[in-house]
This record gives sequence, C-alpha cells and structure tokens, in this order.
Amino acid sequence: MLPTSQQTIGPFFPKGFFGEADHDLTRISADAAPTTQGEAVILRGTVTRQGGAPCVNAILEMWQADAEGRFGADPAFLGWGRTFTDAEGRYEFRTVIPGGFTDATGTRAPHANLTVMGAGLMRRLLTTVFFPGFDTAGDPVMASVPAALRPLLMAEEARNNDGLRSFTFDIRLRGEDETPFFDL
Amino acid sequence: MPEAPWPPGIEPLVPVPGYPNTWTHTPARAPIARAAGATERATPAALHRKLPDGEANLAERTRGKPAIGQLMEISGRVLDEAGRPVAGAVIELWQANAAGRYAHAIDTSAAPLDPNFEGHGRIRTDADGRYAFTTVKPGAYAVPVQETWWRPPHLHFSVFGPSCLSRLVTQMYFPGDPLNELDRILQSIPDAAARSRMVARMQPPASVGSLHLGFVHDIVLRGRFATPEG
Repeated sequence: MLPTSQQTIGPFFPKGFFGEADHDLTRISADAAPTTQGEAVILRGTVTRQGGAPCVNAILEMWQADAEGRFGADPAFLGWGRTFTDAEGRYEFRTVIPGGFTDATGTRAPHANLTVMGAGLMRRLLTTVFFPGFDTAGDPVMASVPAALRPLLMAEEARNNDGLRSFTFDIRLRGEDETPFFDL
Repeated sequence: MPEAPWPPGIEPLVPVPGYPNTWTHTPARAPIARAAGATERATPAALHRKLPDGEANLAERTRGKPAIGQLMEISGRVLDEAGRPVAGAVIELWQANAAGRYAHAIDTSAAPLDPNFEGHGRIRTDADGRYAFTTVKPGAYAVPVQETWWRPPHLHFSVFGPSCLSRLVTQMYFPGDPLNELDRILQSIPDAAARSRMVARMQPPASVGSLHLGFVHDIVLRGRFATPEG
C-alpha cells in the first residue's frame, strides 16, 4: 500500500492536547517521578522564519536515547516530548544529556532528534541537535552535513537555569544561517 | 540501510502558490539525505502514558450539551505499507466547528464559536488498527491572505506509528465537495490518486442508521512493521 500524504499541521494545533509534562523527556507522564539516571538539563531556543520573525504555535517533538545511549531500557525515561512555541517563537524542553551509541549507521555522538511542524510547513522538518563537549567528528549524521553548516547543529551552553545546565538551539526555517534539515 | 523513499507524487510540492506562509517557512536548501539509525527506528515504549486516551465523542463532550452541526462518525484503520493493521497507535483528531471556526486563540475569524465544541480528541487504535470518532462535520473557511481562497471542510489527523519514521500528520477531506478542487493544500499533492486517498468514503446512509452520517478513512503509515528490517 502507498503511504498517506503529509499535510501541514496548520496554525491551530490544539492547546488541549498538551499536558504539563509533555515538554519534559525525563518523565514518562505528569504524575511520574523523573528518571534518576543522567544529568537533567534544559534545551531551549526560538523558531524563526525568513527575516527572523518568530513562528507562533510551531509544534516541536523531541526524541533521544537515555543517558546511557539506550532506547527503552530505563522504565522511568520516555525520551520523547512535545511542546509549542509561544508568541515570541520560544520553546523549551527538559531532558538529560543523552549517551552516545553505535548502530548500523556508525558510532553516534550524543544527540537528539527534533521534528518541527507548523503553519506554512507542508511536511514535517527533521533535524538533529548535538550537545557540546563531545567528539562529533566521527558521527555519520554530522559527516553527511557540509562542513560549513555543522556548527548550526550544535547546541550552545547558556547560563544555568534553576541549578540545571541550560543549552540553546535556535531553529531558523529559512534564510540566513538556515538550520540543516534531513530527509529520511 | 536507507528507508524506502516516499513514492513519487505523494509528498506536497512546496512552496505552495497562493499560500504565502509556505514561501517564508519552507527551507531554501533541500533536506540532506541520510540513513535511519537507532534513533529513528526506536519508538517511546509507553507513549500513551504521556499522551493519554481522551474523548472519542467530540460532538457531546458533556452529556446533554451537544455541539451544533451535522452529526457524523469518522472511522477507519491505521495500516502499514504492507497493509497490516497498526495496533495501539495514538491518533489525534482536531477540526473547525460547523461554522468553520477553531476553538483556538489564534483563530480570529468572525465565524461563531460553539461553547459546546472544543474540536479535538485523542484515542488509540484497537488490535485491528481501527479507530472511530463521533463529531460534527466541520465548516469551510476563508484563508486570511490577500488573494483569499477557501479551505474545504477537513479533519486534521496526527498519528504515531511504531517508529519516528512512521509519524504522520495529515488532513482528510469529504467526498464531492466542490472546494476540494480549489484547495491549495490538498492540490499541493501532485498525484491524483494520492489526493483521492485523502478523501473519505461516505458509508451508505442506510447502513449507519438514523443517528449520524458515516465516513470511512484509512490511513497508511510509512514502513512495514511486522517484519523487522535489517
């Protein structure tokens, strides 16, 4: 069978679909305790369109391995979260620094996948954010990106926030310093 | 190993004429092709804990307070590319009310809100991949751009399949609506057969009884999930 076509998520994805822990990858649900494994951190940034204007109610989904580089091994860690951008285009996730791992594509540096959807985006966009302080030179996904664009996939460490280390990753959909996106 | 690419004609052509947001949001660079690894193949083990089952009846969320509009049931199956049912898939539906207005702060159209209609629901498919929502048929609405055009009545679907790759956000249209041929978003899909697969089938009214109209819509996710791929 042929897959159903993608269509834009549009501007009106309901606020009612969000629970209070949806942006928190360290908890499997709002009523669950966060995982005890790994270093909890904040990842935040803005989503902008051409000209730097903010994207409002863009929907972001984040998905990553646990602190040991595993999937589904830590029952207290879901590794998935969803949030929306506010009127200034800002988003925020709480997560742990993921571990690296080796799979069929090679040895992966610590990273998270981010999906971006929103008005004006007919297909979901997929990008990958790498955390600073790890060697990304051998990462097969980083290697697939032209060298000049690789810094655009690195989160930057920012000021601490409530005692947690905080990282910034801005997503520029189009124009100057456009974020690299991937096709799978 | 790369996934099978999207077959030709199924993905929307971008940017879309007449839809200015696509001109400013669509990346200028082509996406970079890469193989899917463990991150893309794995899936959260218990997504329904974070995205719990909600209400399948959007038309009467509070008993005795029905929404205004044409009552309808939308049902169907979520399948993979091999035609196998995807069981336990989280499926989200949202839509405008019968007047063509979303219960969302961003929608500032002049069409009336319906205090009894929030217009969204979340459920999971059963063991046969089946889902069903009861709702009211959404109205059409004009897109607020300089050269305005009308969106036909449509339902938004968000479906979580067994991997990152099978994540799908799409829209469903109603058979026979003359606005379908004029909709910039539906018509952005180049292949006519792919467009027709986004249009629901109406069930024979006699077969669904006297309570509501019935529409059937199957959704096919990318991937072949029963047989793990190397």
